[in-house]
Amino acid sequence: MAGDEDQVGDTRGAVDDVLVVDGLSRRFGELRAVDEVSFRIAPGETYGLLGPNGAGKTTTISMVAGLIRADAGTVRVAGQRMSPSHPQPKRHIGLVPQDLAIYPELSARENLVFFGRLQGMGGADLKGRVQEVLELIGLADRAKDKSKNFSGGMKRRLNIGIGLLHEPHLLILDEPTVGVDPQSRNSILESVERLSTAGMAVLYTTHYMEEAERLCDRIGIIDTGRIQAEGTRDELIRLTGGVDQIRLAGTGDLTHAIESLRELPAVEQVDHDGLALRLTVHGAPTAVAEIVTRATGAGMSLADVEITRPDLESVFLQLTGKALRD
Amino acid sequence: MRPVAAVAWAELLRFLRDRSNIFFVFVFPMLLVFVLGSTFGGAGTQGGVRVVGESGALRDALVAQLESQDLSVRMADEDEALEQVSRGRAAAGLILPDGVEEAYARGDRIELEIVPTSGAAGLAMRQQVATAVETLQLDRAALGALTQRGIEAPAAEAALDAARGRVTPSRVTVRDVDDVAQAFSGVGQFEVGATSQLLLFVFLTSLAGSSTLIQARREGVIARSFSAPVRSGQVLLGQTTGRFAIAMFQGLYIMIATTLIFDVDWGDPLLAVLILACFGAVAAGAAMLLGSLVDNEAAASGIGVGLGLVLAGLGGGMAPLEIFSDTLRTVAHITPHAWAYDAFADIQRRGGGMIDILPQLGVLLAMAAVVLAAGTWSLRRSVERSL
Repeated sequence: MAGDEDQVGDTRGAVDDVLVVDGLSRRFGELRAVDEVSFRIAPGETYGLLGPNGAGKTTTISMVAGLIRADAGTVRVAGQRMSPSHPQPKRHIGLVPQDLAIYPELSARENLVFFGRLQGMGGADLKGRVQEVLELIGLADRAKDKSKNFSGGMKRRLNIGIGLLHEPHLLILDEPTVGVDPQSRNSILESVERLSTAGMAVLYTTHYMEEAERLCDRIGIIDTGRIQAEGTRDELIRLTGGVDQIRLAGTGDLTHAIESLRELPAVEQVDHDGLALRLTVHGAPTAVAEIVTRATGAGMSLADVEITRPDLESVFLQLTGKALRD
Repeated sequence: MRPVAAVAWAELLRFLRDRSNIFFVFVFPMLLVFVLGSTFGGAGTQGGVRVVGESGALRDALVAQLESQDLSVRMADEDEALEQVSRGRAAAGLILPDGVEEAYARGDRIELEIVPTSGAAGLAMRQQVATAVETLQLDRAALGALTQRGIEAPAAEAALDAARGRVTPSRVTVRDVDDVAQAFSGVGQFEVGATSQLLLFVFLTSLAGSSTLIQARREGVIARSFSAPVRSGQVLLGQTTGRFAIAMFQGLYIMIATTLIFDVDWGDPLLAVLILACFGAVAAGAAMLLGSLVDNEAAASGIGVGLGLVLAGLGGGMAPLEIFSDTLRTVAHITPHAWAYDAFADIQRRGGGMIDILPQLGVLLAMAAVVLAAGTWSLRRSVERSL
């Protein structure tokens, strides 16, 4: 981190929030991978970093977890400022990387013991905690099996268990459901919900809108290394103006239909994209009947009607001009 | 030190868990030591005489004569004697034909057959055996002459013994101008093979094991280790220590197993372990460097085995440096193997001590410092690159 001296005066960040990230930046050559990223996470809060691949999510959490140095900015964990010369605050962080970062030749227990020792644990404390985690992740009966013989879901659970072993204040999960079957995915999401309910702060990166909507109390939408917007789901959706989209596909007198539709009070805007009419509408569910009547009355023969209500995908689209999975 | 020990222990455990290592680490080196020792090793030029023939006065007298010249004498059948001479495990065979004991008892002319090895030692041995036979004949003639003069046999024998005691026996020394023969003078059958296989396998195992470093790097275990409250230097030191532990494990296994199975004399055990430690540090550094420069495990294993064999071949890990030309021997010393080979040769064959092997240890430590620094730097960069 830039500068090692601890700064005082930010009492909320130092005392209340488990994680305070302030102005974090990182370049790789000419590429500005992370640019002035700032956010906070309170105890029991799940904060989502939502963005497409290459948006800067992993680089951000790599800096938060102390894996790589930031060019600028600070990270405070549990009130302590992180720096390469002062690694102790990392004790409060549990990292669950996207890759299965476990030793395949070692058993589940040996993997947990290994990472526990890196956390400074030992003796009876470590032994007892390893057993607790094995039971928590449902691998107590497979504790002695080499992890390379585990199913994908079991490996994922072990990967998460390692992050929980030392009972961190902050759990960082980097796209933990990528490449996971639906059953394991749901199990992971439920685990995150339970941890959050139990008071753990969670930093969750994903490019799946549904996961962010389900899990996260607050969401930071990140693209090209910058936080484009931040807030609760409802706050973010309000950024779009809360308007719905209606797509009318069909043939006939489209010019007349556009003129007629623009007269409706619920319709804010009508565009023609060559294939269909796109309407920006307030209260689409109630307005759709009138819209269909007007369009057909104006000579348009409808083939399809599609209503799109605002969600994080549309927020992202509006903020960045591209889809989350681009 | 707990994080360093944890990383090192995990690496050693992973190495031991690899089933393919059961053959290549434990069985294969012993097989090669046995094959090399059986094929090329030998008690060599000091291997003594194999005597073939029925028990009798002549054989007993000849054995006594030979042993009085400090020669090692063992009885054998003809096939065994010829095989041992041909393999260089005995310097000469002495064959007493059937009926020779009776002829000797009658005082008739006897004919014996000597089968020496080629080379100076064989020639010397032939001469010593011939001298023993002639001495026996002369004694017998002298005894005959005295008894013919009316002296009782016991008194005659006592007189001859007294006469022999008054004469200081002449001693002929053989100077062997064959450098190779001199270099291996007194070396046990399996010692050279054991040393060369130790050098070969310590480096080979370390380099081949670099694939596990790539695996740990690729799967993000090393990067994840950096998220623990440890300094990055501790993780890197742990990886280095793990590589070093693997090298030491392989080397100590070969030392202990060859001592127990093949009775190999490694010289002063502390010095032998010190040489191994310096050589193992170079191997560990080379493994770190390979494991951080190459991103593909199969490629690393291939390069590791190839490089390990080439360096071993060049540095005395496959054939003794003593049989190399002077030029090739100089070139060989670009490898750590050659320096370790020289150090082992000093303590095993020349009775060398700590002072004698200091230059070799110094060079090995310098090599280790360079490759360990390069390997650590390269590993840190490769981990950062992967994030």
